[in-house]
Amino acid sequence: MENDTATQWECCWDRDQIQVGDCPNLGEGDEDLLSSRSRRVLEKCCNCEKFKRDLERFYASGHPLAPMFSILDEGYRRQRSHIQSLSSFLDTKTLETRFMHELGSVLQSSVDLEEVLSVALTAITSGKGFGMNRAFLLLADKERHFLRGHLAIGPRSAEEAGQTWHEVATSDLDLQSLSHAFRQNKLSAERDKFQDILARLVISMDDIHHIIVSSLEEKKPLLVQNAFHNPDVDPELARLLGVDTFLILPLIARNRRVGAILTDNFITRQPITDEDLRSIETFTFPVAFAIERASLYERLQVEVAKLQEANRKLQEQQELLVKMEKMALVGRITSSIAHSIRNPLMVIGGFARSILKATPQNDPKRDFIDSIVAEAHQMEEVLDEILTYSDALYPIRDFWDVNQLVETTLREIQDKVITQNYTCRYHPADGLPAAYIDYKQTSYCIRNILLGTIDGLENGLLEISTRLEGERVEILIDDRSRRLSEDELEALLTPFAETHEMGSGLNLALCRNMLEKQNIPLLVVAPPDAGVRYSIKLPTRKEEQP
Amino acid sequence: MNRILVVDDEANIRLLYAEELTDEGYEVATAASTAEATEKLQQQSFDLAVLDIKLKNESGIELLQKIVKERHDMPVILCSAFSCYKDDFSAWLADSYVVKSGDLTELKEEIKRVLAKKAQRKAAGL
Repeated sequence: MENDTATQWECCWDRDQIQVGDCPNLGEGDEDLLSSRSRRVLEKCCNCEKFKRDLERFYASGHPLAPMFSILDEGYRRQRSHIQSLSSFLDTKTLETRFMHELGSVLQSSVDLEEVLSVALTAITSGKGFGMNRAFLLLADKERHFLRGHLAIGPRSAEEAGQTWHEVATSDLDLQSLSHAFRQNKLSAERDKFQDILARLVISMDDIHHIIVSSLEEKKPLLVQNAFHNPDVDPELARLLGVDTFLILPLIARNRRVGAILTDNFITRQPITDEDLRSIETFTFPVAFAIERASLYERLQVEVAKLQEANRKLQEQQELLVKMEKMALVGRITSSIAHSIRNPLMVIGGFARSILKATPQNDPKRDFIDSIVAEAHQMEEVLDEILTYSDALYPIRDFWDVNQLVETTLREIQDKVITQNYTCRYHPADGLPAAYIDYKQTSYCIRNILLGTIDGLENGLLEISTRLEGERVEILIDDRSRRLSEDELEALLTPFAETHEMGSGLNLALCRNMLEKQNIPLLVVAPPDAGVRYSIKLPTRKEEQP
Repeated sequence: MNRILVVDDEANIRLLYAEELTDEGYEVATAASTAEATEKLQQQSFDLAVLDIKLKNESGIELLQKIVKERHDMPVILCSAFSCYKDDFSAWLADSYVVKSGDLTELKEEIKRVLAKKAQRKAAGL
């Protein structure tokens, strides 16, 4: 085709320089093409109707190059179309890669199962991800016997879909933010919303004919079509999902069957293509690994917690051992001292009494002798207390009614309660089993705790109750009238330490020692502004004994 | 007058018991060891014995066993500085147990009770 002056071409291809408006295909940003004929011809003329008519005129002119030009033009157009298609494919794949990269980063960085699941399901259903309407996640149980519906996401009605998708479209959040928002605000609500379906999505992993198990066995995603009439699909599954077409994505990590995702277009009924399947397939691998890793991490956390608990118990046992050694040492020392003291004390007190008997009432020395008698008596009482402490080493146990034990003990201290004007409320529980205890020692301890509580305080309130705690019968003594600091509480349980509030720590330390010998823990807590609580948990079986 | 044998390795305690029990109207003999007690038991008859469980290098329990074996009609009251004597089943052979104290009231009451019981048994021909 040449620029024949006799020929007036419709298109502007024959001009090196054109003006704005000469080519209808030029728009804003195409200014460079006004002076570049070659670029203008290659980029714009192919789609120009005027150029098309000029070509037709040229082909009809009978010029010898016309058939050759036609071949070249057709080839050029085909290649151009192919390049455009490749470019579009490349753009799609670039977006997909970016999305997968973002997804991979989020999944790899998380060991929180809920977060991983939120990301996975958000990725499937978000428009920025795979844009499916709904997704159901089934997880294999710990023994890998059953797949169970665990979580679902998506709208259940067109109205809800419109609202949700509008919210998502206007929020402009990236995948991580979307999944985070979902986890924070919607996860449990979505679980509740789909509970009716999730609860019924229970599939035995031994049922190899089930389409989901079969997909897991073959480790291949499956596009299920015509579900309602497909002989391979369990009619119950089709009915539960309520769709004719859905995708099954098996989740497999290190050859372990982790679970499966079912996804569909329940609202839009948009067909699911093989291309969709291939896109989502690549996504299932990182999801399966992330779920497996998060599950393992969760189990690890449980094991770590168990280990920590075991460590804590070990530490407690060590402390207890040290404490018991201290107590045993105290016991040995006190019994030895007591033996050495008892005889001279008895002689002093005994002779002082004898002398007192023989001393006339008006003798001024009587007061001194009286003092000796009184002091010797007091020392004997202290000695008795110390010896009882050592005596606690050998409990004699049998089965006893705890309520009766408490009632009897309360009767024993009744006089003191009345004298101190104390209010004592007792709340016995019905139907308690008998406790396997040394009655005398246990009763002694309860009496001592009660007396220690009442001692030195008037008009107080004391509440005693019994209850069944696991396999033990618990006696609770709540002293509502006292407030103890941590130091005072510690002192209260230390032999020979003194508390301003409750005197010598020997009594309670003795009780604790006595009870511990029977494997009965005595716990004392003094929460601020809530009084002091004593808890004694009595065994009900012989096997619990040390 | 009832005769009581007091066995204790502490001289002052023997003296205290002797003073107090004599005041109560008993005839009191004392012994500081198992051997001395055995000798006195062979020489005289007693209505009751008050034994300290822990003698110097000896055990009052052994003396108790001997008395029960040879003088089964004589009641024995065990005295101790420490209540752990009850863990020795042999101590159950005694008629009564008293923890030592400067206040002898409990011991005196136990002596009365045990002697009264002995008299009842005797009256019943047991």
